Amino acid sequence: MSQEQVQVLGDDFKIDSLSISFGGLKAVNSFNLHIKPMELQGLIGPNGAGKTTVFNLITGVYVPDSGTMVLNGNSLIGLNPHQISKAGIARTFQNIRLFGDLTVIENVMVSYHMRIGYGYLDLFLRTPRYYQIENQFRENATELLKVMGLEQKRNDKAKSLAYGDQRRLEIARALATEPKVLLLDEPAAGLNTQEKAALMGTIAEIRNKFKTTILLIEHDMKLVMGICEKITVLDHGEVIAVGTPRDIQDNPKVIEAYLGVG
Amino acid sequence: MKIFQVAILLGVVALLWGLNFFFEENINPYILRVIINCGIGMILAMSLNLVNGCAGQFSLGHAGFMGVGAYMSATITTVLNLSPFFQTDLGVGCAIVTGGIAAAIAGYLVGLPSLRLKGDYLAIVTLGFGEIIRICFLNIESVGGARGLSGIPPKSNFFWVYLWVVITFVALLRLLRSSYGRAILSVRENEIAAESMGIDISRYKIVAFVVSSFFAGIAGGLFAHLQSFIDPNSFVFNKSIEAVIMVVIGGMGSLSGAIFGGIIVSLLPELLRVFEQYRMVIFPLILIILMLVRPMGLLGHKEIWEIFRKKASS
Repeated sequence: MSQEQVQVLGDDFKIDSLSISFGGLKAVNSFNLHIKPMELQGLIGPNGAGKTTVFNLITGVYVPDSGTMVLNGNSLIGLNPHQISKAGIARTFQNIRLFGDLTVIENVMVSYHMRIGYGYLDLFLRTPRYYQIENQFRENATELLKVMGLEQKRNDKAKSLAYGDQRRLEIARALATEPKVLLLDEPAAGLNTQEKAALMGTIAEIRNKFKTTILLIEHDMKLVMGICEKITVLDHGEVIAVGTPRDIQDNPKVIEAYLGVG
Repeated sequence: MKIFQVAILLGVVALLWGLNFFFEENINPYILRVIINCGIGMILAMSLNLVNGCAGQFSLGHAGFMGVGAYMSATITTVLNLSPFFQTDLGVGCAIVTGGIAAAIAGYLVGLPSLRLKGDYLAIVTLGFGEIIRICFLNIESVGGARGLSGIPPKSNFFWVYLWVVITFVALLRLLRSSYGRAILSVRENEIAAESMGIDISRYKIVAFVVSSFFAGIAGGLFAHLQSFIDPNSFVFNKSIEAVIMVVIGGMGSLSGAIFGGIIVSLLPELLRVFEQYRMVIFPLILIILMLVRPMGLLGHKEIWEIFRKKASS
């Protein structure tokens, strides 16, 4: 039992007093976040509040001026983006960044590369190990695309997909890295009402199926309030409220940040 | 499966060997020389395609690595006078491979600092490195300096050059059709996304650069043992530009496109000899027209068999 508890505690993702300034602008100021395993948290805030900057700090695109980030007992500060990805954090992008000229299935297979089990000699000589691992990758990717409803389009170029499908492919590609924490940056941006409803279902399904913790940035309040267990509100780079969707809805500071002082 | 592959390999070797004999007996030596030059052009284009087309890193220093391969292999066969073995076909082959390895090492040393840069900056830095390599040869007296290096055993024939064309093609195709190849392509498509999916982008840029330099070195070695004379002027900036033109004409990122590019750029100046002094006016004109009509190159990002498959299915 104690073993199990340690395991659960170990999968916590904890960020403490993370800060970064660009010139004189404090883009993110002592940001705190604590996510329990398999929790679905929302990160909201008005435009320019610093939400995407937080994602860029977590994924190592920016190096924070100060603060700590600990996943599974390991510090993530100072790691490169690809090392952070290997540590178990995956993300999608607000402005879609697919590998446009690769096929849908290849986009997903790129994410498996960090667990590659064959070397250059295997690929030049096409050894049995090469075939075995490539086939394994292809099977896994097909499975994943099935979950995301993209299986039929697996041999299409990623850039030829419809917008909603591109968003889903971004999620599939991130999931292929087998993340402990999945960061979704405005996954519903540009989707219509039906697509949004479908996406809400998919996100909930992903969490249960892949046992991953999800942190999501979203502007659509209905979506955030509907699926998130806990919400962090950011304004001008600072956390102004943390709590359940109900707490957040009634919080005067949040209302002020969104609507201004009445 | 394995037996099948070995059979194909032997078949290809036998075919090239037979063609070699046939061409040497029945074809005028000038035309044979043009055909062999096309082969060297193909190797050069396919290797540069890996960096410029697949990894998306614009390099303008390819002639430098070709030079390293040429000088290294020629030093072994001609300058050092190690043993009569290096005058035989097999010895020259070993020397050419050594030249390729030397070029790969040079590629690693050049790539390490310069691949931190992007786009135009990278192009200028690689251009600079290419010139530095050439100037080095110009000033090393033991390899002839500005006089060049002559008396290199002329062992490159149709068989050896086209054997290397096949090796280069198969090796690069297999690299690109693997997880490592997808990693290289993902760097071209979107560096930030690639990094976020766990791809060490600097590492795969260097892998592309080193493999590319290796085959450029092979092309250089074959070139040296074809001409039996090399001097630093064989590897000037123009040669790098020629390689870039081959890749752009064929279609950036298309291996079969690079083969066509290599053939066109090697062949056209010869075909245009009938126009005498207007030759070098017409050649660029054809290139300009080709780029206006097909800005993505002959094949674009696609391979030739992909285009045919699509036609057949639709």
